[in-house]
Amino acid sequence: MKKVLAVLLTVTMVLGLLGSVAMAEDKIKITMWHIQDDDNAKVIYTDAAARFMADYPNVEVEVVDMQNDIYKDKIAIAMAAGELPDIFLSWSGGPMIEYATNGIILDLTAYMEEDNYKDKFLDAGIAQGTYDGKIWGIPGENVSAALFFYDKDFFAANGFEVPTTIAELETLADACLAIGVYPFALANLTKWTGSMYYMYLVARIGGGSAFDKAANQIDGGTFESEPFEMAGEYIQKWVKAGYFNDGFNSANEDDDIARWLLYNNQAAMYLMGNWAINTTADINPDFLDKMGVFAFPAYEGGTGDPDAVVGTVGDNFYHIAASCENPDMAFKFLQYTLDDTAIATRVAIGKIPPVKGVENMITDENLKQVLDVVSASSGVQLWYDQYLPSSVAQVHLETLQAMFGLAMTPAEADALLQEANTEALSE
Amino acid sequence: MIQNPSLLGRRKKREIARTALLFSLPALFFIVVFIFYPIVNSFWISLHSWKGIEPTMKWAGLANWAKLIKDKSFFNALKNNLKIVILSLLIQMPIGMALATLLDATGKKMNAFKIAWFLPYLMSSVAIGYLFRYAFDPIFGIITPISKLFGGGAVDLLGSSTNALYTVISVICWQYTPFYMVYYLAGLSSIPTDLYEAAIIDGAKRRQYFFRIVIPLLFPTIRNACILSIVGSLKYFDLIFVMTEGGPFGSTELMATYMYKNAFQSMKMSYGSTIAMGMFFIITTVSILLLFVLTRKEKDA
Repeated sequence: MKKVLAVLLTVTMVLGLLGSVAMAEDKIKITMWHIQDDDNAKVIYTDAAARFMADYPNVEVEVVDMQNDIYKDKIAIAMAAGELPDIFLSWSGGPMIEYATNGIILDLTAYMEEDNYKDKFLDAGIAQGTYDGKIWGIPGENVSAALFFYDKDFFAANGFEVPTTIAELETLADACLAIGVYPFALANLTKWTGSMYYMYLVARIGGGSAFDKAANQIDGGTFESEPFEMAGEYIQKWVKAGYFNDGFNSANEDDDIARWLLYNNQAAMYLMGNWAINTTADINPDFLDKMGVFAFPAYEGGTGDPDAVVGTVGDNFYHIAASCENPDMAFKFLQYTLDDTAIATRVAIGKIPPVKGVENMITDENLKQVLDVVSASSGVQLWYDQYLPSSVAQVHLETLQAMFGLAMTPAEADALLQEANTEALSE
Repeated sequence: MIQNPSLLGRRKKREIARTALLFSLPALFFIVVFIFYPIVNSFWISLHSWKGIEPTMKWAGLANWAKLIKDKSFFNALKNNLKIVILSLLIQMPIGMALATLLDATGKKMNAFKIAWFLPYLMSSVAIGYLFRYAFDPIFGIITPISKLFGGGAVDLLGSSTNALYTVISVICWQYTPFYMVYYLAGLSSIPTDLYEAAIIDGAKRRQYFFRIVIPLLFPTIRNACILSIVGSLKYFDLIFVMTEGGPFGSTELMATYMYKNAFQSMKMSYGSTIAMGMFFIITTVSILLLFVLTRKEKDA
C-alpha cells in the first residue's frame, strides 16, 4: 500500500512540473539577443519591448544584452546546441550566408516587402542584408565606418594638422613621438581592431577591388599579392617605429584601454568605427566637444582608392531564427525596435541608423562628417572578419596579430590566409 | 515452516542487488546522459565533416584524425600543457606543503594567515583573470610604474610570446597553491600526535620526523594531489582564456583553448570534437598510467 502511495505521489509531482511548464506556454514568448550593452543604447530595446508588450499583452518579450565578443562565442554555442533565441544578429557577410544556406535563419523578403517596409532603409543596407536575391537580415543599428578620432584641442595646442596622405600621417606620428605621445591607440588582443589598419592600407594601396578579388579568387586575385604584402610591411614598419602604444597586443578593446589613451592625450589618434562616438557619449561625455574625426589618409602613387571606406551599412543585422515559433510576432517586435521613437533615440545617442532621410536628423558635426565620408565613397567594404567565412576570418585575425607582434612576416601571413581561403572555397 | 537457509541467503543477496541498482539508477542516469553520451557523440562527430550549423553531417572517416596527428598547433598546445603540468608540480606542491607544515606546527596562532592564504582559491577564475589582466596592463597596470621606479621601461608581460605563458602559470600557481595547502593540512592533521611524541622520545630531530614519518604517511595524499594537479593542468582552460585567449601567436595556446577556438570561433565543430577526443585519450591514458605506477609503488613500500 505504501509503495502504491509513493508511486502515486511521485507521478503527481512529475505531472505537476509538466503542468506548470505547459501553462507558461499559453503566452507567446519572444527572446532577443543583442549587443547594444551601453547604458544609453540598451534603453532602445527595453523601451521597445515595453511598448510592444503594452500593445500585445499576450506576448512576453525577453531582451538580453551582452558584450560584443562574448556574444560571438555565445551565439556559436547556442547554434550548435540548437537553442537559438528567436531574434539574434550577425554582421552580415560570410556568417550570414552560412546561416542562410543551412536553414538557420528565416527568409524575411515577404515581411520586408509588405507595405514596402524595406524602403524605409538605405538601399546599401538592404543590399548588405541580402543574399541570393532574398533579404535575410534587417540593417538595424548604425552606418559605421572606421575613421581616425583625435582630440582637436590637443592637435591645435601642438600645431598638428590633419594628415591627408600616408606620408603626412607618418610625419605626424614622428612629431607625436617627439613629444612623448603614442601616435596610435590600439587594443589588439581583440584583433579586429588592428585589422582596421590593415584593411585601409590594402584599400588605399590596391583599391577596394583588391580584397574582393582575393577573397573570391576571381580575376587572378590572391592574398599573396602586392597590396596585402605592402600593407603588412607598413604595419611592421609602424610597430618598429613605436607608433602603437606599449602592450597593444595584450590590450582588450572591451576594457576601454585604447579609448582612455586617447581621452588622456597619452595617444594622439584612434582608428575605430564611428560607434566610438556613442561609446564616448556613454563613458566620457566631456570629451565629445573636443573629439574630431578624419578619414584614413590617401596613399600617393598607388592604384588605390582614396575614398574607399571600410565599415558597414547597418552594423548589426537582425535575423529571425528558423526555430522561432511565432515569426510574425517576432517581426512585429523588430519593427518596434526600428520605429520612429527607436530611430530618434539612436540618433540622439550618436548613431547613424541606416534609414532613408537620416541626413536630415543628424546635427552632430562628427556624425555629419562620417555620413559625408560614407556617401562620397564608391562603396563600403565590409570588415574582413565579417565578410570572410568564419574559418578564414579566424586565420586572418590570428596572422594579423602575429604580424603586429613581428612574429610573422607579411609574406608568411598572406600565404596562410591564402591557403585557408582556398580550403574554404573548395568546400 | 523453515526455509532452506541457502535459499534465504540468495534471496537476500538478490534483494540487496536490486536495492543497490535502484539507488544507483539516478546517478547512473546522469553519468550516462552527461558523460558517456557526450563522449560517444563527440567521437561520432569527429568522424564527420561538420561546421556545427548544417542540418546533416558529412561522413569523413578518419580525415580529422589524420589532420590532428599532423597539426603543429595542436602539439604546440600539448607542449604548453606539459609546461603547466611540470611547473605546477614543481611550484604548487612544495609551497603548498611548506605552508601546510607551518600552519600545522604553529596551530591556532596562525589562523589569520590560514584564511589569508586560502583566499585566492575562493575567487572565481574569471574574476582572477580580469584582475590580473588589468594589473599586468603595460600602461594602466602596476608592473610598469614599478619598473619605471627602478629606471626600466614599459613591461608587457601578457603581450610578449616569451613571457606570457610563465606569467599565466604564476597566476595559476597563486590561485591553486592554497588548495594544495589545505589538502596537505587535512592530511597532516590526520597524523596522530602520539606519533610525533614517540618520535621525539626516540630522539628524532624535527627534520627526520618530517622526512621519515610525515612524508611516507602522507604519500597517498601527495599522490592524489599530484594526480589532481596533472589532470587539472592538462585540461586547463578558464584563466588562460580570460587573460590571453591563447595568444599572443599561440604562445599560451592550450589543448582546451585550441579546441574551443576551432569548434566555436572558426566553426569547425567536427575538428573541435576531434581535438576534444584527442585530449580525452591523452588525459585518460596519463591518469591510468599514474594511478597504476603510483599505486604499485605504494604497495612496494
